[in-house]
Amino acid sequence: MSGYSFIEATPWQCAGCRLPLTPTTVSLTYLNSVFNVELMACPRCGMLLVPESLAAGRMLEVEQLLEDK
Amino acid sequence: MDQLQLRAFENRCIQEELPFCTAACPIHVDVRAFMAGLAEGNLREARKVLDRTMPFPEIVGRLCDEPCRPFCKRGEIGDPLAISMLERACVGMTAPVLKLPKLPAKGGTVAVVGGGLSGMTAALDLGRKGRKVTLVTAAEGLGGSLRSLPETMLPREAFPQAAALLEGYGVTLMLAADLTVERIADLIATHDAVYFDRDEIGPQLVPQAAAQPDPLTLALPAEGGFAGGGLGEDSSSFSVIKQVKDGRRAALTIERYLQKVSLTAQRDKEGVCTTRMHTVITGMASSAVLIPADPALGYTTAEAQQEAGRCIRCECLECVKQCVYLQEYKEYPKTLVRKIYNNQAIVQGTRNANRMINSCSLCGQCTVICPHDIPVPELCRTTRQDMVHNGHMPPSAHDFALEDMHFSLSESCTLARHQPGTSASRFLFYPGCQLAGSSPETVVRTYRFLAGRLQGGVGLMLGCCGIPARWAGQEPLFAETMDRFKADIARLGNPTLITACSSCLSIFDEFCSEAEIVSLWEMLDSLELPTGKTQAPGETLTLHDPCTARHQETLRLSVRSICGKLGMHIVEHDCNGPLADCCGYGGLMQFANPQLGGKAAGMKAGRSEHAGLAYCAMCRDNLAASGHRVAHLLDYIFPVADGQNPLARSNPGFSRRHENRARLKQDLLNSLWPEAAVLQPEHRQITLLISREVLDLLNSRHILEEDVQKVIHQANQTGRYLVNPGNGHQLAGFKPVRVTYWVEFEPTSRGYVIHNAYSHRMLLPEVGQ
Repeated sequence: MSGYSFIEATPWQCAGCRLPLTPTTVSLTYLNSVFNVELMACPRCGMLLVPESLAAGRMLEVEQLLEDK
Repeated sequence: MDQLQLRAFENRCIQEELPFCTAACPIHVDVRAFMAGLAEGNLREARKVLDRTMPFPEIVGRLCDEPCRPFCKRGEIGDPLAISMLERACVGMTAPVLKLPKLPAKGGTVAVVGGGLSGMTAALDLGRKGRKVTLVTAAEGLGGSLRSLPETMLPREAFPQAAALLEGYGVTLMLAADLTVERIADLIATHDAVYFDRDEIGPQLVPQAAAQPDPLTLALPAEGGFAGGGLGEDSSSFSVIKQVKDGRRAALTIERYLQKVSLTAQRDKEGVCTTRMHTVITGMASSAVLIPADPALGYTTAEAQQEAGRCIRCECLECVKQCVYLQEYKEYPKTLVRKIYNNQAIVQGTRNANRMINSCSLCGQCTVICPHDIPVPELCRTTRQDMVHNGHMPPSAHDFALEDMHFSLSESCTLARHQPGTSASRFLFYPGCQLAGSSPETVVRTYRFLAGRLQGGVGLMLGCCGIPARWAGQEPLFAETMDRFKADIARLGNPTLITACSSCLSIFDEFCSEAEIVSLWEMLDSLELPTGKTQAPGETLTLHDPCTARHQETLRLSVRSICGKLGMHIVEHDCNGPLADCCGYGGLMQFANPQLGGKAAGMKAGRSEHAGLAYCAMCRDNLAASGHRVAHLLDYIFPVADGQNPLARSNPGFSRRHENRARLKQDLLNSLWPEAAVLQPEHRQITLLISREVLDLLNSRHILEEDVQKVIHQANQTGRYLVNPGNGHQLAGFKPVRVTYWVEFEPTSRGYVIHNAYSHRMLLPEVGQ
């Protein structure tokens, strides 16, 4: 799923920094695989948002695929 | 598993054995598929089956003397199928559908002397194989003694048709030949092999054909000579199918002879053979053969369809008929083991069978049912062990269940004490983790009863027998758990164990044989049950044995005896006792494959229309979760004071089960062994307000309320969370061990309202690190 972007308008803000989230590139890892993806995050402290649609969707698919490798 | 083990395992499954009719057919016509085609009204499909195996279906299909018919399984429940009449009807109503291919021409010359059906068959088979065949007969046409049959039995045009077919495969026909002794000698001299059809060629013409051919190869003592056909061994009967059988057998021998390979090797499955097929006919209604309205004309299409519909399509599948797992994956043991073998052989690529291997409940029902005791559960379990060992076990398959086991074995839940006021135990009550999780009050009431009735001290031990680790293929973890258990009971002076759970009992029996063990049910059956308080349900209940009590017969008898003493009206269903289904918990099926786990519970509960009575806490809760009314036997022996109907108790779910175990220890320490209670971690103080819908969501997503508390606690401690200014909800993620949990919550004065929760295993760079 490297190169994927999960950027979408979101009402969530960082509670600590009181800032709206902006797109950022992060590395996700699972079972020795690394994926560089775009997620929404706090521009100051980096607090990330993993939306439910991603966790229960694409992320779960990739996890299960890797588990059977 | 190596190739040899694979073959040995495959060989024990008989689903692919020949059906009885096919095994009894000298040329192995697939009668079962033929009947299926007819029964479905698909004449072309039926004809295709004949074309594939029968030489000259127009002739053989009309005249076969059906040696298979006495072996038809239908004959044991009514009349055997009218196989020959149905073949005749099919051939009469259809044109050829299938034309078998001709292989490229090869060397080797064969003379077939005599044009009877065996000679025709030999010529056809060898012609198809690309051999140069010349058929020589003194007769005007083909057919030998069949030429004298009346037109009503065999239309005249069948023979010219057969001649055209043979020529189509390159066979040279020499009809009305002058077959003298000299001519035959010439044929022998000029061909590599010669087949004598004894339907036409007598010993006076060919002295060397007078010798009896070898029954296996039909080879004559004279080099390159072969003979068959004609009358049977008793020289009195003429069998059409014998002609075909001999022609085909001789053709195969000649083919081998020309290839210069063994004429005899591996021919035991040729011709009439034995079969290990196992078909259960219990419960099938008897039926008589259908007599055609006009016997002279034979079956009409509709009549043929009706008669063929009586075929029971012999197969085994006895295990599949009962097993929700094999049904789900559309496998029988032979195909299952092949898939497992292939999955294990993958070095690079996707192991598509992982989930299948982890979905078996390991319950052992199939092995009991199987006529050859095929150990599918042991195969799946040892494969899981290999997967763990090789690092190929998907972490998500069993993580949740193993965490649950880990919790049951943690300081929060475990306990091992002598009876209060004593320093030694003659007995030790071991309720097991699931009864403690399902109904902690029942554990307390049962313990108080045992402690009051038994002499010599009754200790109590809370923990887990380790069976989840065994099921998950985690052998080192399982061994460690057993060692700890043995040390604990040794510390208590090795008292006699009283186990409430059949799974614990099966594990201790197998791995802790030094311990003295008695099941709670046998113990209760030997004691005077509490009087006055017991309350039999006002309705008939169906008793559900757990799968792990499959081999615990005395235990099962005690349960029934107790039910009798309580005045309960119990009915049994077919899949009980040694044939009991699993509720979905066994083998951790419901964790590796939640959907299938649900189906298993539904199937078990659905075996009877009555409400259920279980004596395994997991069965009780899973059957309740599948929407059925079901009680636990202890609910009636030690009823609760509030008079709540035990049949109406809902499934506690994973979170409640967790809490129940921890609370049980707390309550016992408070009431029976007063001492400092175990310190609860801080996050446990967080009050959650969760709706039924969100609770169900948490349960289905394997998220515990304690995980939710940990996320909120972490968010409060670090101040790292997201907020939605629109509705004031907060969202935080935290990874306590391996899984990252996200919780959407809303702080209120009464506690935290939980709106949503989800999880993932993929690691983030920051959250919770």
